[in-house]
Amino acid sequence: MPITLLKSLELHSDKLWSIDSAKGLMATASSDRKIKLVNLRATDIREVEELDDSTHKKSVRSVAFRPHSSILAAGSFDSTISVWGQDENEDTQGTFQETELLAIIEGHENEVKSVAWSHAGEFLASCSRDKSVWIWEADEMGEEYECLSVLQEHSQDVKHVAWHPSMNLLASSSYDDTIRLWREDSDDWECVTVLNGHEGTVWCSAFETSESQLRLVSCSDDATVRVWKYVEEGDDGEDIWTLEAVLPRIHSRAVYSVSWSPGGFIASVGSDGLLVVYKETELGTWEVVAEKEEAHGVFEINTVKWANVNNKELLLTGGDDGNANVWSFDP
Amino acid sequence: MSEFINENPAILDENLLPSRPEDKNDTIWDAQLNLASIQRRMQLIDIHQGADCKVYRNIELVDRLLAKEAYLNDAVAPGLTDTDTDDSELEEAEDPIDAQEVYDMIAHISDPEHPLTLGQLAVVNLPDIDVRENKDKTKISEVIVKITPTITHCSLATLIGLGIRVRLERSLPPRYRITILLKSGSHQSENQVNKQLNDKERVAAACDNDQLLGVVSKMLSTCK
Repeated sequence: MPITLLKSLELHSDKLWSIDSAKGLMATASSDRKIKLVNLRATDIREVEELDDSTHKKSVRSVAFRPHSSILAAGSFDSTISVWGQDENEDTQGTFQETELLAIIEGHENEVKSVAWSHAGEFLASCSRDKSVWIWEADEMGEEYECLSVLQEHSQDVKHVAWHPSMNLLASSSYDDTIRLWREDSDDWECVTVLNGHEGTVWCSAFETSESQLRLVSCSDDATVRVWKYVEEGDDGEDIWTLEAVLPRIHSRAVYSVSWSPGGFIASVGSDGLLVVYKETELGTWEVVAEKEEAHGVFEINTVKWANVNNKELLLTGGDDGNANVWSFDP
Repeated sequence: MSEFINENPAILDENLLPSRPEDKNDTIWDAQLNLASIQRRMQLIDIHQGADCKVYRNIELVDRLLAKEAYLNDAVAPGLTDTDTDDSELEEAEDPIDAQEVYDMIAHISDPEHPLTLGQLAVVNLPDIDVRENKDKTKISEVIVKITPTITHCSLATLIGLGIRVRLERSLPPRYRITILLKSGSHQSENQVNKQLNDKERVAAACDNDQLLGVVSKMLSTCK
């Protein structure tokens, strides 16, 4: 099952931290304080826009597209979140439309490390070195944000937030080596479980797209990738989860990012420069089906995302070389 | 109340710090390498597309032995010291980075509270630097530096570690993964400091902080 490089885009002059994609568009965030947009549908896959780079005063750490819209949120080390979109009132059909700044959200005390939209686009979650996770409710235009909850149960930086693809369930990963899951409960959000097991910072997590079961994959500084499974609701109202699998230990250094494709494949990348794809052969048993060494040359890889473009599964990776690489994967 | 966290640190004489000894063989090796043998080596590099091939290494060994013999015979061949070979063409044969080179990069960093260098304070020591060089330069190599704070509750340990990391990230080629650790038993909060120093995101955020970067730049201003 080969991974083939389709295109390497030299987008940034410093670390590329985060990638998201929607509707054939890829957004990237970098330490060079820029956010760029790339058209993945074009045959030559090219950069189409650079957002106003005077907006953030420090590294842009994370980008996330709002589902069912063309709105993009970006979290920065300058402690703010910017929200971007296109003015839909203007009649500019068929012509190129510049993406505009819709809102700046303030609240975190210091570096924002990750932002994520819930599946319906109703909530925006953000997390920070200030140890908190904030849940924001957004209006339809993406211009007004109301903070619904500030979750402060992690004992250290919160590195990453991820929503379930079809439920209002949020996972937060932390420097305290744990993952916490959060759910709305009569107007407030509460922690329904803590996943313990990683022996280092948890850098990222991603839920499985599935109607029949509830699972989460996570990756860590301890060089492992783990799959966790929901078992049942406990007596005390907490959810009971269990570690279902530790994926084959192929990474030799910190694993910075994981992504679970709708088709069931898991991809991981990290400090060792490896891009790995795993397949579940039977429930809870995984094997490596593809790997690419030096996927960004000698540089560390910070992010991996599956994207479906023109009905093809693509892998998008971003590294310390400032490049975004677009890969095809043939299952 | 003391102004310093450690008022009386032990100090080493800068002239006695480890440095690379002048290697006579190296000098001879360069001086005696005549144009013909350089060209032969370049040719071989072209043919084999890499300096790691066995044939090339054997040739190099023979060259070295010949050079050594010439040195022992105290014979200086005429006209061989001044070759017009372009240095850049010889970059293929560049020495790998070793512990001494890493030491030289970081030993001259200033301590944040004393007018002394990290080498003089024995915060960095040559035996505590480990270079795991991968000969293939398209692959990742590793540098591990263990530092010894002057006192076990030194609150500046993180800042010192950050200074070392910034210096190495700026000086070493990107293929090097840098790990900075406090030497075992040298600090009360060893694990916490180690975790922080090796968290790339926290280091990146620190480098976005102008005030902190100012302090680090000052520490690095004494580097040679």
